[in-house]
Amino acid sequence: MTQIKNRFTFVRILCLFVALVGALAPVYWMLTISLKTEVEQFASPPPWFIFTPTLEHYYDAFVSRGFGQYLLTSAIVAVTSTACALIIGTLAAYALARFELPWQLHKHLSLWILSTRMFPAIVTAVPLFLMMRDLRLLNTRASLIIVYTAFNLPFVIWMMRGFFADLPRDLEEAALVDGDSRIGALVRVVLPLVAPGLAATAVFCLIVSWNEFLFALVLTQTDASMTLPVGIAGRVTQYEIKWGVMSAAASVAIVPILVFALALQRYLVRGLSMGAVKG
Amino acid sequence: MSVEFRNVSKDFGGACVVDDLSLEIRDGEFVVLLGPSGCGKTTTLRMLAGLETVTSGEIYIGGERVNDVPTQHRDLAMVFQSYALYPHMTIAENIGYPLRVRKIEKNERADRVNRVAAMLEIESLLDRKPRQLSGGERQRVALARAIVREPRAYLMDEPLSNLDARLRVQMRGELKRLQHQLGTTTIYVTHDQAEAMTLASRVAVMRKGRLQQFDTPMNIYNEPANRFVAEFVGSPSMNFVEGRIDRATFVSDSLRVPLNTQLAGALTMGIRPEHIQVFAEPHDGAIAATVYVTELMGNETFVFLSVGENRLIARAPADFRADVESKVWLRLATERAHFFDSNGNSLTQRRKDAKEN
Repeated sequence: MTQIKNRFTFVRILCLFVALVGALAPVYWMLTISLKTEVEQFASPPPWFIFTPTLEHYYDAFVSRGFGQYLLTSAIVAVTSTACALIIGTLAAYALARFELPWQLHKHLSLWILSTRMFPAIVTAVPLFLMMRDLRLLNTRASLIIVYTAFNLPFVIWMMRGFFADLPRDLEEAALVDGDSRIGALVRVVLPLVAPGLAATAVFCLIVSWNEFLFALVLTQTDASMTLPVGIAGRVTQYEIKWGVMSAAASVAIVPILVFALALQRYLVRGLSMGAVKG
Repeated sequence: MSVEFRNVSKDFGGACVVDDLSLEIRDGEFVVLLGPSGCGKTTTLRMLAGLETVTSGEIYIGGERVNDVPTQHRDLAMVFQSYALYPHMTIAENIGYPLRVRKIEKNERADRVNRVAAMLEIESLLDRKPRQLSGGERQRVALARAIVREPRAYLMDEPLSNLDARLRVQMRGELKRLQHQLGTTTIYVTHDQAEAMTLASRVAVMRKGRLQQFDTPMNIYNEPANRFVAEFVGSPSMNFVEGRIDRATFVSDSLRVPLNTQLAGALTMGIRPEHIQVFAEPHDGAIAATVYVTELMGNETFVFLSVGENRLIARAPADFRADVESKVWLRLATERAHFFDSNGNSLTQRRKDAKEN
């Protein structure tokens, strides 16, 4: 019996190990490339573990070239669009979860909102480009913020609607009878109770906005408006591929999301399993 | 404050939950809405709180029409069946919430929370969270949150139904005492007739959205307006015998009881268990019956009887003993009997006499 159990544990650990290697090997490769000199990058066989680390690519990316600017743009766009999507989406989700609209709209609207995610993103790329051109918003952060907000909204609304629906109405009703306004009850009573869900939703929005490439590529071309993913991809040119600079920038790009996700980890698990078990 | 329902109806998608309800509740009264589940009593309370819209009719609080006043401006306090304590706040924050949203300054808030907590003996719980409390303690907190300010009326939706039997009786007494001290109009919803009888200054009995009777507990018990009220109030329930009255005698297939009455024709006689006297030996004019089973309660005995096809329950003294299937004799206090027509409406006119006395 214990033998079977031990073997099972062994298999489990083996599976985990394989999965981890699969997931982390590219990251490791990227990190080492970013720290190697160009000579060592292309050495064969590659120096897997032992090489002389250098920060020249980081210096190159963030001091000589404009990656600092891209990083800043990425951060502003991701944070602002996430905040907008959360505020608008949470209010919409609350309304859909709690109010009866005429013609059963509270049911139909949710599906309409979700349907905006049912076609490939690229379908909207050209129309969005034309619209942003006419609005003179090409090469601005605002264009990306608007697009990302719109893109994240269905996700926020559906996640939050579920969390709100799971919450007993009694609590808000008690708050109303106690003299609070709807919005006061939402802020003081409802939101603190769905905070884990809100945190989980925020992390996803942030990751999506931070990593988004397609719309950023279509809508922004100038150094001042470019986000990090587009900036990194731009180092692949006709004449050369700057592996070191790209790896250095990509390594830095991982950090903010990693820190944010770790900080909210406690909420992430609770948020994603919320409603599954009655607490 | 006085509260008035004037011809209030509520439809839920075609289903009429409250039907043409009119109630006048005086300032300081303790009114209990009593009825089985689904009778519309909770919906009535929620309409008063503004948590449900009114389909037709009008609701007044202190003479002011409140149909279109949103919940938060009606200045009421409500105790929910689930207590609805805010799980993320401490007990002190829970109790202080109605004060906080009214922007009452922090020191005064703490003062008043402490005073109410002392009144309900929950001072030691103030720093805890609701989930650390027992059912009875949560109930007290919900009550404290309601009485921390002086609302126009208290609304209570089955506040005691989640407590165990012993605690329920204790809290029932405390509630009554509290309402007496505060003197605030209270509207209390329950399906428990014992709660209604003990707490209320007046009871409104409801059934299928319709008001059956609105009167003092004594009158509800002694002068039920119809068969439903008669059956719903009182434990064990009133006995009913179908039959007819011919020449001042009530006749059913197994009973013949001489009466002093003007009534005649087919009807239903209702008689409460305490108005049936049970004898172990034959008595003059007593009705022969068979014991179905007896239930010893300690202070009294319930005797379940068969008289022909009819089943009756009688209240007998604690020392009454009879074997199952043994023969006993009954005397009905017919002057306390009630008579109902085929629609269940009361035919008894004793009520007017009672008022004259």
